[in-house]
Amino acid sequence: MSEPKTALHLIVTCTLRHWRISWPGYLLLLLIVAVGVGAFNGIRQASRAASANFGLFNEAVSGRSDFLIEARSGAMPASLLAELTGLAGVPDWHLLPVIEGSLTLIDETGEPVQQVRLVGLDLIAVGNLPAFNEQGLSFADDDAEWYQRIGPESGIWITETLAEKSQLARGDQLAFVAGGRRDSVLIAGVLGEPNQGMPDDLIVADLPAVQRILGREGLLDRVEVLLTDRIARVDPKVISGVEQRLKSGLPEALVLRPAEERAAQRASMTEAFRLNLLILSLIAILVGAYLILQALDAAVVRRRNETATLRSLGVSARVLFATSLSEALLIGIIGSFAGIGVGFMLAHGAVHLLADTVNALYFATSAEAIQLTSDDWILGLSLGIAFSFLAGLLPARDAMETPPAQILARGDWSPGFNWLRRPAPALALAGIGLLCLLLPPPTMAGGSKMAIGGFLAAGSWIMAAALLSGQSLVVLAKICRPLGQGPVWRIAISRLGDGSSRHRLAVAGLVVAVGMVTGMLQMVGSFRGTIENWFDVRFQADLYVSERGSSGAGNTNGIVPDIMARLVAAPEVEFADTLYLRKVDAPVGSTQLAGIDFAAWQTRISQIWLKPPGSLQPVEGAQPALISEAFGRRFGVLEGGSVTLQTARGPRAVSPIGVFADYGNEFGTAAIATETWQEWTGGERPINTSLHLVEGSDLNEVRDRLRLEFPGLDIRNGRELRTLALGIFEQTFKVTTALNGIGLTVALAGLLLGLLAIFQESARSWQTLGYLGFPRKQLVLAAGIEGAGIALAAWLSGTLLGLVLGWLLIAVVNVQSFGWTLLWQIPFPALLTFGAALTLVGFVCGVVSGSWWFLKNQK
Amino acid sequence: MNVKPIFHIHLPQAITALLLLATLLPVHATWIEPPLRTEKGYPVPQPDVMPDIPAAHGAHREYAIEWWYWIGHLESPDGREHFGFQSTVFRLAGDPEKAGGKEEGNPLGNRQLFMSHAALTDVRRKTFYHSERIYREGWQAEAEVGRLGLRVGPIRATELPDGTGFRLETNYENDGQLRLELRPTKPLIRFGERGLSRKGADPAAVSWYWTYTRMEAKGALIRNGREIPLQGTVWMDHEISSSQLGSDLEGWDWTCMKLDDGTEVKAYRLRRKDGTSDPWSKVYWIDRDAGVRSVYADQFSWEENSFWTSPETGLSYPTRVTVRATDPRDGRERAYTLRPLVENQEFIGNDGGNPYWEGACEVLNERGEKIGIAYLELAGFGGDLSTRLN
Repeated sequence: MSEPKTALHLIVTCTLRHWRISWPGYLLLLLIVAVGVGAFNGIRQASRAASANFGLFNEAVSGRSDFLIEARSGAMPASLLAELTGLAGVPDWHLLPVIEGSLTLIDETGEPVQQVRLVGLDLIAVGNLPAFNEQGLSFADDDAEWYQRIGPESGIWITETLAEKSQLARGDQLAFVAGGRRDSVLIAGVLGEPNQGMPDDLIVADLPAVQRILGREGLLDRVEVLLTDRIARVDPKVISGVEQRLKSGLPEALVLRPAEERAAQRASMTEAFRLNLLILSLIAILVGAYLILQALDAAVVRRRNETATLRSLGVSARVLFATSLSEALLIGIIGSFAGIGVGFMLAHGAVHLLADTVNALYFATSAEAIQLTSDDWILGLSLGIAFSFLAGLLPARDAMETPPAQILARGDWSPGFNWLRRPAPALALAGIGLLCLLLPPPTMAGGSKMAIGGFLAAGSWIMAAALLSGQSLVVLAKICRPLGQGPVWRIAISRLGDGSSRHRLAVAGLVVAVGMVTGMLQMVGSFRGTIENWFDVRFQADLYVSERGSSGAGNTNGIVPDIMARLVAAPEVEFADTLYLRKVDAPVGSTQLAGIDFAAWQTRISQIWLKPPGSLQPVEGAQPALISEAFGRRFGVLEGGSVTLQTARGPRAVSPIGVFADYGNEFGTAAIATETWQEWTGGERPINTSLHLVEGSDLNEVRDRLRLEFPGLDIRNGRELRTLALGIFEQTFKVTTALNGIGLTVALAGLLLGLLAIFQESARSWQTLGYLGFPRKQLVLAAGIEGAGIALAAWLSGTLLGLVLGWLLIAVVNVQSFGWTLLWQIPFPALLTFGAALTLVGFVCGVVSGSWWFLKNQK
Repeated sequence: MNVKPIFHIHLPQAITALLLLATLLPVHATWIEPPLRTEKGYPVPQPDVMPDIPAAHGAHREYAIEWWYWIGHLESPDGREHFGFQSTVFRLAGDPEKAGGKEEGNPLGNRQLFMSHAALTDVRRKTFYHSERIYREGWQAEAEVGRLGLRVGPIRATELPDGTGFRLETNYENDGQLRLELRPTKPLIRFGERGLSRKGADPAAVSWYWTYTRMEAKGALIRNGREIPLQGTVWMDHEISSSQLGSDLEGWDWTCMKLDDGTEVKAYRLRRKDGTSDPWSKVYWIDRDAGVRSVYADQFSWEENSFWTSPETGLSYPTRVTVRATDPRDGRERAYTLRPLVENQEFIGNDGGNPYWEGACEVLNERGEKIGIAYLELAGFGGDLSTRLN
């Protein structure tokens, strides 16, 4: 029989037979691979779906656009359309003016129910668009003249999905809050058919009606350009020609951008966020690979008699190597296929969490349907199979080196990972990690930075810790030996003290997960502590006012100026700290330009000052600004200098005179005097205001009165604002927590597998002890202590690793990726609780696996 | 696919129907005095109004429906290139109480609606291009009052500075453009009794309907970056009305012929749902000196010689027809056979509904000799048009 045939025969007769006999263990292994691949693929799909909708909400109605015509900064006056009439007469494209905003739908009691995107389109011209007609959409109804359906006073159209979800119908009045005003509007119709997949957070209306609803009369956000010939749009030559023609007909005040550029710009904004998540999602697959290695190695041990016999029968070492490696591949293939499905399910669970995070931190988005692309298949399968293959190499080598039966019978040969006992590779890895820290963080397209060096260091240190963790087992056994008496304790401790490679492997697998979880716990805890501290210092006003329902970066319309004027004129208001905000283009990517009461910020407004106002000298000719730490780090002006920003009035330079801590966004903020901000941006709407009341005012009474007077505004006291902000904070870490949970679950499953393997390997010892009269209960208890010992050792090593990782995340990754310094806080109670829980779970795993072993061997 | 029109009235057919019905009543019919306004409140065209040229070429905003229509045949001086074209602008008034007043500076008005139909037939290469656009009054579409000044998507029409005619510009795909200067060689013809075309028994069913049956055209077609000088003759219609249709017609066939002898013939057949021709179907002869004579359905026949089936819509159009009519001038029967110069001249709207065939043809006599050129419109072959018109 040829070697390949022999290998195939062995897989069918031996490997699969073992699978049949030990099916629960193999099932668990397949599940681990599936969860590992699933976590990676799921996060990929979910983050893609959550941020794929790059804010062009009108696409659901009008189809994908090819170019965008925008003002150089801020909104575009609708009067500029008159300068586009030359372009409007060209049938090669359609020009579609768009205005967007958000509405907070409210119930009868005025409580927010849902936030939706309001898109204003020319409801007549949209009928020219092929995508609109192909979808069978229509803004017509049966009882109104066309002119009643358009214009400022016309109604709005909701999607069929929203109508069904919210039990709304044509003719209903839709109550909402926008720009700080409470109002209602007639539902003129329902768009689309059931199951057409229209978004459930989309409302469409005629453009002038949206301008009226949002109080943005005479303004547009952009004009979209859609090529008439949708086949030609894939031809770069055609696109380039069209771009030239469009540019030649564009007035100076407007710029043309390929729609893809905007999508790329949006994608780049979330690039660091998505990459961080993706790296985190790799934990599960890494731990999974470790477990495959562990399980296959255990299998080699279990089957050594069989393997030795095969060697004696003349089966070559090469065939045994191939058979063992094929088993790993088989696990990888089956597990990865299952992982694709698991990932798809996980993506459905995570997409809304991610979309909410993107909404809160970056820009308005709505989750799209999860799509399983060919890339997902290729990447998921490759990753799962590659990791399984690599994990299978060492056990396959062991299988190959198994001596023939007669040699095995003479000695106590056992494969093992001697390298796990050698500290040199681990120390080398730790050193490499240190060197990685010297790598500068590369800048992403959107201007954010990627802490590559930090991640590489983390990877090196995790591997180093895994290799060294076995030592902790031996040390722990030494420390614990005098703590107990009796045969059970002695047996368990002596087994741990032996520090067999199998034990070390079990600890190492768990250490990776524990270390990552501990590191993340610290980072999240430090972040939270820092934010709370920041809150205590920064927010000392009495009442905080913002637009009702706006829940994040992308959902703010700004408060209508006359409402703000009335609000701050209230007799109880002594001083109002009002904030204006506008995204502007910076030398790299975009940043935030804020308008503030410049004098008040330097005197009476509390801040955590990294550099107090006046400590930096402004550059001559540039506007003095107070900058956030992230701004300073991004543009290298922490020690002074100037940055040129693209405003509606052209390029303008700002120069820092002070640096404040800000954990609101990673793109940075430069704050200048409100008057200058208004001049530069042409804007007039503030985002929020903090009210300082006249001394002696009843805070809650004033709040309640203002709430009644301004139903479109959110008015909160300090405590309420704190709860809200921490709620947003928790939201942004939900996915991280979920991924941690997945990683830990995989590791614990691995612990269970590892313990099973250890007992399997120790069969002879157990049998001997049985003959000596040890009751099974005591042996199971010893197994429990052994499990607890492994878990405790893993926790100790993992916590040490986690502390280092925590420091790395806080002092390197966060500073490089987000540009902010966090106060390092170690959540000792949480770590201790985690340790206790882990030890308990280890004990239970030991008991369960011990019982399982006895149950199986009794049969 | 369930395709719905954006609005329940489909403008080109409605207005074409209006054009046709405007000429239905015999001149000797009992005079029905039109009311001043329709039930909806739009003003109704009144009799004995002589169009104040050139002001009358401008928009009549307060009237419900108005359209400007140019078709023609154009050739290069060396005769190697031959194009047929249709450029049509439709206007529909909004709220009758507000439609008359223009909102200056509003880029997205809601008082007037415009539509353009642009088609170009390349006879030599046998290709046909068409585009439809619908716009509200504003930055993409407007019509001046008091003189011809149209800017509706790809079509622009203005008066020539010397007042002798019009400039017509139509944009096509791939940066193509047709630029024409049009000068009438015959006086303006007003159809109907006392300058008023009656569309039916409804007192308000009247229109002002003015035509230049023969205009000399000079200009060029820019195509693929190349300028092709062109010249030829063009037919122009301008109609103003305020009434909607309520007929049982299924569709219509319409043609205007420019004959080599210096005369023109206009003929149309209104097709009823029962397959018969409406009695108001008619043939007109326009003499060299702009004298007009006509006969009704009982004095002419419209024969369908052969059909062309559209590969896109699957509709069959009788694109080769013969019109036989007795000329009242000499009592002799005349036969005009229309033969399309390109088979596929089917105009399909944006929403895919109400396709029609309208294209360049040549006119043959009974001996098969070419005696002129024509444009032929075949509408309502995609189903019952009357329901769409209301």
